[in-house]
Amino acid sequence: MSKTIMIVDDSASVRQVVTIALKGAGYDVVDACDGKDALTKLDGRKIHLIISDVNMPNMDGITFVKQVKAHPSYKFTPVIMLTTESATDKKQRGQEAGAKAWIVKPFQPQQMLGAVSKLVLP
Amino acid sequence: MSETESHPALALEGELNIYGAAENKLRILEFLSRAKEAPALDLSGVTEVDTAGLQLLILAQREAESMGTSLRLLDPSASVLDVLQLCNLTTRFDVSGALECNP
Amino acid sequence: MNLDNAQQTFIEESRELLAAMEDALLTLETTPSDADAINAVFRAMHTIKGAAGLFGLDHIVGFTHVAESLMDRVRDGEIAVDDTLIALLLGCRDHISSMMDAVDAGEESTSEDMLTTGMGLVASLEVYLGHPSEDGDATESPSAPSGSHTPAPTTDATGVENVTWHVSVRFDQELLRNGFDPLSFVRYLGTLGDLVHVEVIADAMPSGEEMDAEACYLGFEMRLAGDLTKGDIEDAFEFVQSDCTLRILPPNSQLGAYLDLIQDLPEDTVRLGEILVACGTLTERELEEGLRIQAGGAGASEEMSDDQPIQPLGEILVEREVVQQELVDAALDKQRRTRDAKTREARVIRVDAAKLDELINLVGELVIAGSAAETLARRSRNRTLVEANTTIGGLVESIRDSALRLRMVEIGETFNRFRRVVRDVSQELGKDIDLVITGAETELDKSVVEKIGDPLMHLVRNAMDHGLESTERRIKAGKPAKGTLRLNAYHESGSIVIEIADDGGGLDRARILAKAQERGLVQPGQSLNDHEIDNLIFEPGFSTAEQVTNLSGRGVGMDVVRRNIDALRGIISLDSNPGQGTRVTIRLPLTLAIIDGFLVGVGEGAYIIPLDCVVECMKCDPAETRCQDYINLRGQVLPFLRLRDLFGIEGSPPRRQNIVVIQYAGQRVGLVVDHLLGEFQTVIKPLGRLLDHLRGLFGGSTILGGGEVAMILDVQELIRIAVQRDAGAHAETAASNQTDLV
Repeated sequence: MSKTIMIVDDSASVRQVVTIALKGAGYDVVDACDGKDALTKLDGRKIHLIISDVNMPNMDGITFVKQVKAHPSYKFTPVIMLTTESATDKKQRGQEAGAKAWIVKPFQPQQMLGAVSKLVLP
Repeated sequence: MSETESHPALALEGELNIYGAAENKLRILEFLSRAKEAPALDLSGVTEVDTAGLQLLILAQREAESMGTSLRLLDPSASVLDVLQLCNLTTRFDVSGALECNP
Repeated sequence: MNLDNAQQTFIEESRELLAAMEDALLTLETTPSDADAINAVFRAMHTIKGAAGLFGLDHIVGFTHVAESLMDRVRDGEIAVDDTLIALLLGCRDHISSMMDAVDAGEESTSEDMLTTGMGLVASLEVYLGHPSEDGDATESPSAPSGSHTPAPTTDATGVENVTWHVSVRFDQELLRNGFDPLSFVRYLGTLGDLVHVEVIADAMPSGEEMDAEACYLGFEMRLAGDLTKGDIEDAFEFVQSDCTLRILPPNSQLGAYLDLIQDLPEDTVRLGEILVACGTLTERELEEGLRIQAGGAGASEEMSDDQPIQPLGEILVEREVVQQELVDAALDKQRRTRDAKTREARVIRVDAAKLDELINLVGELVIAGSAAETLARRSRNRTLVEANTTIGGLVESIRDSALRLRMVEIGETFNRFRRVVRDVSQELGKDIDLVITGAETELDKSVVEKIGDPLMHLVRNAMDHGLESTERRIKAGKPAKGTLRLNAYHESGSIVIEIADDGGGLDRARILAKAQERGLVQPGQSLNDHEIDNLIFEPGFSTAEQVTNLSGRGVGMDVVRRNIDALRGIISLDSNPGQGTRVTIRLPLTLAIIDGFLVGVGEGAYIIPLDCVVECMKCDPAETRCQDYINLRGQVLPFLRLRDLFGIEGSPPRRQNIVVIQYAGQRVGLVVDHLLGEFQTVIKPLGRLLDHLRGLFGGSTILGGGEVAMILDVQELIRIAVQRDAGAHAETAASNQTDLV
């Protein structure tokens, strides 16, 4: 049974690359374009890992992670945040919100796959 | 819970992970305190095991030993065997019903 | 955007890494212990290996893996850098580069040649790597070898034997609640190599009620086989770096290192000893011996404790220091690597070249619009408006310069590529050649730099092949045995000048002249000066088969070099001194985008002459110019061209015309124009296909402030036309003209 990963990013191209890369590696992928969309798409389904952008319309990544960490069914789900640079302040807030793993954008698909496979193998 | 007089067994089902760990720990401890002889955990219905789940299995075995008995793992599912094999624990547990999967 | 794009990025990045690797290797030739250089080579292999994996380029992964392992050992100081190793690694670099080219070209399979090269290189690498001798315990297979859960090891079977790491890890209790699952790290390690043995350490877990089901109590002692690096293993735990205690012992560590590990770990010694034996890391015998040495060592030092009271473990401590040093080095190195990467990221932003071009194009439009506004302002005679416009004009100029500077790159990088070429070719030729690079910081437009590489390569090879003599001949001629090749660059009046000079034998003029006559490039009896003879080698058709060697040959003659330079609006010339050497000088415009122009009117049209080329302007004396094509300019013959005639403009010229004297590469020609309209800064727009027939006279077009199009004159071409015409007439009446003039 392959593991399911959720990618949350407002950039369609990022979602696309991440999805192609993850599916290629054998994961199932659910994608969402912002925090709000992601929360509705969680919908009780099993998610093994969440990859989320920080800056998004409607609901940003930090708020989204806080919601995830407050949700009884998802509070222990690992979250990798995508950040454009080492914005320490944001990183700190993200850490407090519960995201412990970070990938700096722009990233190579294999970097992302490497990070993902440390947390969840397909 | 499916237990009989002679072969008390606690069935753990679904995900044996951190989400249900606290509850499962209580169930296991409560079960062991009642099952005096040859307690067993029925793991045939377990779909997923993580570190928290593995800790519970180790805890259960340790508790059983401290009570002077030994714990059996009944018919562990593929996910359970996978973790036991990864951690080289298949021989540490008394595993029955899964010999064909365990070379 | 899809993975093809990503692969393209990968190829580009790899090329950059390979270039850095080459530089580093050449640095190592002079300073074999340069840690930064060693790291650069390692990083190149490590990163390319990692990235190649994603794109399924297994052959690249396999190859870089061997090189990476070697560099890992070099980093650890186990293997010393020497010339043979550098040569081997340069070979590896080239091989990866060719594999990359094949990937770029979309080739599905690897060619026979490449396979053979690769296998040869791997064999040489393995000689360096050696094979650690087999221990008795390693051949006894552990009772529970890694089962079906382990994904296939990425390394090939040959590399795995007995290269076994010991990984010891304890986690922070909060780990599970933070969403991490230690088992996933263990599984991940299983994808890096072969997990020979995993031992779960649950000693820290309290019993019964006290145990917190959501806390993490487990630790792991693992034996991991595979040709990996310490960095690979550390990377697996990158996200929990601060939430775990990780200890990694490299393969074949000293016994003391294991004892040290036992001491460091929280569990009790006997239990840990058992664990290490269970892992197969140590044998019973080794453990006993270790503990005995430890006890004995302690006892021994007590006896002679006076001078060394803090050294209870004697020899073991020394061994331990070695190991700790390794670990410290690895940690420092990792820190430095991340820091390096971060500062590099901060310093450099990647920008699509097309975006830059667009910006420069827009700035060009801005410059033009600015000129128009300034003209209008001046016409309005409103002083404040003129002042405001002057300020804007100044700013626009600064923006133009900054925008152009964005595209300026130092020529040093291009020059440095030749260090390798010179090194390889001199070895091949058996000549001892020193490359001296000066002016590496001289900047020029990226678009120019991209096109200058090939001609330079040809000239450098030519100088080594034909210019510099063999060592014996040099000694015989009383010259230093080592030949010198110089690459130099500097700015001169809006151009960049690049020189390729050798201290070789110079050109053989008699042979060149003979060959030129044989090829019909020179008429018999035609007299040429030395400079003219030397420059014959740039004539089309001069290059001959007998001249072609495997080095400078490839069927490309110097005429192609000149054509390339011409295409860049540049000029190439050659000076040679018999017995002393040859110098080729290339003069190129700094940028192909913007020029300061001199606006002239001919008929109804406006034309632009690049300001750099304008020497002076003068009134045209109809009496002197009526029936001849040259004037006497302060005692010198100055041929001139009537632009009206050249462009076929009908009608009669105004009574008073002007002559603009232009100069390029030492040659002067006058242009007869109707009006002088002044200086004008302008952006070169390429000629469209419609105007293709005009190519030759014009180097491009531009739009004037008022909206009309002005053509930019191709000075080089105009000079060529004038000189050629002049040479025809000159040859016939050379003598009489001279007397006429004076």
